[in-house]
Amino acid sequence: MSNLSERLRPRRSALSVVSGPARPAARPRIVAILGNPNSGKSTLFNRLTGLRAKVGNYAGVTVEKKVGRCTLPSGERVETLDLPGTYSLHPGSPDERIVRDVLFGLSDDTPSPDLVVFVVDATQLDRQLFLALQLISVGRPVVLALNMIDAARAEGIVINEEALEHRLGVPVVSISASKGIGIGNLRRMMERDVAPSTRSFRQRPAAVQRVLDSLSARLPRRELLTDSGRADLAAAILLDDGEDDAIARFVPPDVQDDLRILRRRLDQTWPEWRTDDATAIYDAIEDIMRVAVTRGGEGRNERSRARIDRVLTHRIFGPLIFILLMGAIFQSVFEWAAPAMDLIDSTVSLFGGWVGAHLPAGPVRSLVVDGIIAGVGATLIFVPQIAVLFFFLSVMEGSGYMARAAFIMDRVMGRVGLSGRAFIPLLSSFACAIPGIMATRTIDNRRDRIATIMIAPFMSCSARLPVYAVLIGAFIPRHRIGFLTLPGITLFSMYFLGIVAAIAVAGVLKRTALRGGRPLYVMELPPYRMPVWRSVLLTVRERSWLFLQKAGTVILAVSVILWFLASYPGAGQKGHDLQQRIVAAEQSGNPAQASELRNELAGLNLRDSFAGYGGRALEPLIKPLGFDWRIGIALITSFAAREVMVSTMATVFNLGEDDDGLLSLRDKLRLATDESGERAYTALTAISLMVFFVLACQCMSTVAVVRRETNSWRWPLLMMVSMNLLAWIASFAVFQGGRFLGMG
Amino acid sequence: MNDMRLDHLAPGAEAIVLAIDGEGPSVRRLMDLGFVPGTPVRFIRSAPLGDPLELVVRGMHLSLRRSEAARVHVEPV
Repeated sequence: MSNLSERLRPRRSALSVVSGPARPAARPRIVAILGNPNSGKSTLFNRLTGLRAKVGNYAGVTVEKKVGRCTLPSGERVETLDLPGTYSLHPGSPDERIVRDVLFGLSDDTPSPDLVVFVVDATQLDRQLFLALQLISVGRPVVLALNMIDAARAEGIVINEEALEHRLGVPVVSISASKGIGIGNLRRMMERDVAPSTRSFRQRPAAVQRVLDSLSARLPRRELLTDSGRADLAAAILLDDGEDDAIARFVPPDVQDDLRILRRRLDQTWPEWRTDDATAIYDAIEDIMRVAVTRGGEGRNERSRARIDRVLTHRIFGPLIFILLMGAIFQSVFEWAAPAMDLIDSTVSLFGGWVGAHLPAGPVRSLVVDGIIAGVGATLIFVPQIAVLFFFLSVMEGSGYMARAAFIMDRVMGRVGLSGRAFIPLLSSFACAIPGIMATRTIDNRRDRIATIMIAPFMSCSARLPVYAVLIGAFIPRHRIGFLTLPGITLFSMYFLGIVAAIAVAGVLKRTALRGGRPLYVMELPPYRMPVWRSVLLTVRERSWLFLQKAGTVILAVSVILWFLASYPGAGQKGHDLQQRIVAAEQSGNPAQASELRNELAGLNLRDSFAGYGGRALEPLIKPLGFDWRIGIALITSFAAREVMVSTMATVFNLGEDDDGLLSLRDKLRLATDESGERAYTALTAISLMVFFVLACQCMSTVAVVRRETNSWRWPLLMMVSMNLLAWIASFAVFQGGRFLGMG
Repeated sequence: MNDMRLDHLAPGAEAIVLAIDGEGPSVRRLMDLGFVPGTPVRFIRSAPLGDPLELVVRGMHLSLRRSEAARVHVEPV
């Protein structure tokens, strides 16, 4: 391997290099990185742009847009665009549609690139040249990067670069993005003004070509396209399934109407026109491969992959290993993240205490400490789980195991209309729906992905556990049933209820809002590879940062609003009197009494706050579920995070938030009375309330992250309305049904 | 001619693609991914629960659901 870089020394490209059309000097050149999924495209992007990529969305869609800056040897800085992994310019997914729109110059927010670096896995050249040939035909300037050249050599694949350059009409450079080989050559290549290739790989039948030419003559001019590119664009428009906005905006209305006529004419004169291209391009590839590539029999990789797959996808060991691995990941998201979460928690409250001690008492201190610092803490607390989960996800993606996991689970998830890739996001939602929803990015079908996002919050997350614990501890007797106890069975039932609700909702969504032809399911099972650790760490950092940036701002804003609702207008004169009694108690050396009075003041303030009024206003709505206004307050404040329910109830009952307070909360809840002196809560109330917590969408962070991941308010709003409605109906049924049966 | 469907191949068996049933985007998709008439495909295995299938076409391993593989006509070799 040591002399590999030497063999890859710069070689003068045989192709003439001409200057392209003049660019406005103000704009830096745009270089797009394009390739098949698993071609090492993103590794190369990371190599070229270093640590500073900007991640956003393409306008109006959920496809992620990654842009970075790359400095070339001459000092020129080019904008580098990491286009989504793509198999074909005839799009099979929203990601691929974006790629097509950008390359044809149809995208509103992304200009067509000045140069495309096309990345292929050199060990899979045959298959991956398909997109390269489509791309070259469109007429954009292309540099072909033969990635993983070291692996190809090791497998005995010899690629004749000159022959390849000659056949394709584009410069070729051999690289290994993960090892950093040949990157200098590529950078030098990126400096030049590469002319579009003039080669043509397929001859369309005259009848087809005539239709395409007549259509392209009626389209708005696109300076950047060659003649063959214009014909390809016309073909793309005719082949489009009509789901595309960019094309609809681009095609003039009078032409729009004629598209159907043109399609029908083609169907009559040349029925194969829709699939002709694939046949022609693969014929051309076979020709190119014969001239440019020699391979030495079945490679090492193929044999070792077969050995690994025999175990990992084995009828019995496959699922077994999968389950063990999932168990380990689930456990890690729970356990590894816990110390970091505790640390964040205690640091934030220490910091809050420190700031509090340096600010004069009053509304400003309260806003800073209980509103802003608490809000920042509420955001930061998710980062450890997100980081741990994305570490595992990108290791699994990078090694090739993710596709095997989906392969094993597809049948199970397919029963509920989801893809095999939905399993891992849903499993991690048991720890927390936030990283789970972010993990749905690995699902390529849009409908499947949104369905998975919509059901992820039904998995009982770790924030619900304290709520279950307090309610079960207070109200569910410790009866033994066989080797199980009633509290244990209750807890299990809550988890189970969430799963059942998720399956039902997925079924409903797939038949209504997310209906649509079952998409063709094709998934590549890539070769096994060592994950690129640099990329793994970059992913972890990028996901954590994105969450802080995009969801964090919403979470912070909502927590300030919640702080305001829970603090104002406050207890007025009565509170003032209490405050003076606290001071008096402190001065007379009675700290126990002072702290009791302080709890009483906190309770009084909360009860007389907007949240308190809100709780009372909610009472008529939640009375049929067995909840009173005090639970109403907790339902409002727990929108900050579900576990806040526990501390709110403690405050409402004048208890401190320390452990003693929480233990006595159980007793308080058991003994609490309503206005007529009757017991306010029973076991039935507790079950009804737990059912409500299983099903309701009560988490602002989830709403914020769904907004970010679906790039619209439509889905988060639908989620809030439907989950809360479902929760109300279920709790109503539980409470009223239970009463009817004489419980409670 | 010995016409057979892709999902009926035995594990390890190789065959040549003849044609794909159906129309529109999904046929084009399969062809774009390499299932062009005349191309050899190899059936590797089915998933532990019987579905989907693992196939190799042009050196790329693909997973395809049984119902979709059934649309591909092949001739065993």
